[in-house]
Amino acid sequence: MSNSHSDTIPLHPSSQSDIDEIENLINASVQSGPATVLPARPPSPPRASIPVSSSPFIQSKIPPPPPQSSSSSNHKVPSVPAAPPPPPPVGNSSSIVATGFGPPSNTLTEPVWDTVKRDLSRIVSNLKLVVFPNPYREDPGKALRDWDLWGPFFFIVFLGLTLSWSASVKKSEVFAVAFALLAAGAIILTLNVLLLGGHIIFFQSLSLLGYCLFPLDIGALICLLKDNVIIKMIVVSVTLAWSSWAAYPFMSSAVNPRRKALALYPVFLMYVSVGFLIIAID
Amino acid sequence: MSPTDEGFDQQSQNNWKGVFSISSYTQYFDVDTDVVVNRLISSFYPAGGDFFNKIGANPDLYGLIWITTTLVFMLAAFGNCATYLIQKRTDRTTSWSFDVGYVNAAACGIYGYSLVVPVAFYFLLRYLGSNASLVRFLCMWGYSLSIFIPTAFLLLIPVEILRWIIILIAGTASSCFVTLNLTSYIGGSNDLRMMMIAAFLLQMALAIFIKAWFFP
Repeated sequence: MSNSHSDTIPLHPSSQSDIDEIENLINASVQSGPATVLPARPPSPPRASIPVSSSPFIQSKIPPPPPQSSSSSNHKVPSVPAAPPPPPPVGNSSSIVATGFGPPSNTLTEPVWDTVKRDLSRIVSNLKLVVFPNPYREDPGKALRDWDLWGPFFFIVFLGLTLSWSASVKKSEVFAVAFALLAAGAIILTLNVLLLGGHIIFFQSLSLLGYCLFPLDIGALICLLKDNVIIKMIVVSVTLAWSSWAAYPFMSSAVNPRRKALALYPVFLMYVSVGFLIIAID
Repeated sequence: MSPTDEGFDQQSQNNWKGVFSISSYTQYFDVDTDVVVNRLISSFYPAGGDFFNKIGANPDLYGLIWITTTLVFMLAAFGNCATYLIQKRTDRTTSWSFDVGYVNAAACGIYGYSLVVPVAFYFLLRYLGSNASLVRFLCMWGYSLSIFIPTAFLLLIPVEILRWIIILIAGTASSCFVTLNLTSYIGGSNDLRMMMIAAFLLQMALAIFIKAWFFP
């Protein structure tokens, strides 16, 4: 049965049996005609204002199982097209987290290039919103509505790799220090704002701090290629200022104005220490 | 005279919602920028001994965390700079490379000191009967380290004798700060004199460690 859907992922045994059951029901209802019209699947939940657009570790989007999952096998989406797409995995056998999408989309069977292109375009659009000047800057909720964690991950790893390439000794330790500093730093900075009584969303803030590393990535790349100390200092100062400018509106609007400096100083400290690492590693 | 902080302790414990809830820790970060700056500046002047009165009902852990973190970064950065400068003075060929091990050493040393010493004093003083407040001790020791931040910058000067003078002045100032405040908090009875001397010596040992390890 799974061959007809042209995916090669081996299905969980219970989900295979569910799919078989659904196909039997579809065939049965097609044969028995509209006399056994079944209740429609309830509409998918509306998107939250700052939604999780996709779980970062799962490329395909599988529609959510209907909430009444006990008798869910009897439910049928009335708008299922004639050529059956992969049937939605109903029941509790599917352990994959679903998102707020409507009718089943063909993300399981779409080409990998489509998935990658979609994620890449989201990274680029988030980058443009965070790092470059745009009209939404003063409203952080709107600025990073569709946050993701792929972008920050790429930027942190790229920065660690660049620093590690530039280093002449202890390369792996340099990578470890850079990665730990950035990852732990982002988490601690977010916690700092929360502890000061500010209002931010944890993962959105992680995502933002990761995206603000992009200028430092460029700076590290330039410093890798050009080895002059003076040029390095200039490049690092410029990119440091750019990163701080990118992170400033988001962080400062999240806390009480009397505590703005308390929230911003650790951000500045982290970027300065990363900048220093970039200059000093040669 | 030691402030009676039993009432304050009761008040702060009412907000405890469990170890993993952030809102139970926000009470220790309930400070504004000007309050933090005020406490920082007062930690530079060792004479006075009124730090605990200044903290009052509102000790903060913000100072501890970010002063220690800044100090770790400064020591790692300026320690490397200092070895670079010294090497450039002695031999023209700079075969110097950035030693990432300084970051590890700085983190272990500073974080370890600033956590272990106040906790040890707290338990020791509780055992000996006087009332002590862990958060206030952590706060005070955290702010006592703030004088080492400009010191780390000054220790860049590659003249050895000057470095020793600088670190001794800073160490003495910091140790006096700690000792005077501890004395005024506990009440200065003769039995606890050993505690004061121990606190003084530990702070001086930290100063010497900073000089010897990072700016040899």
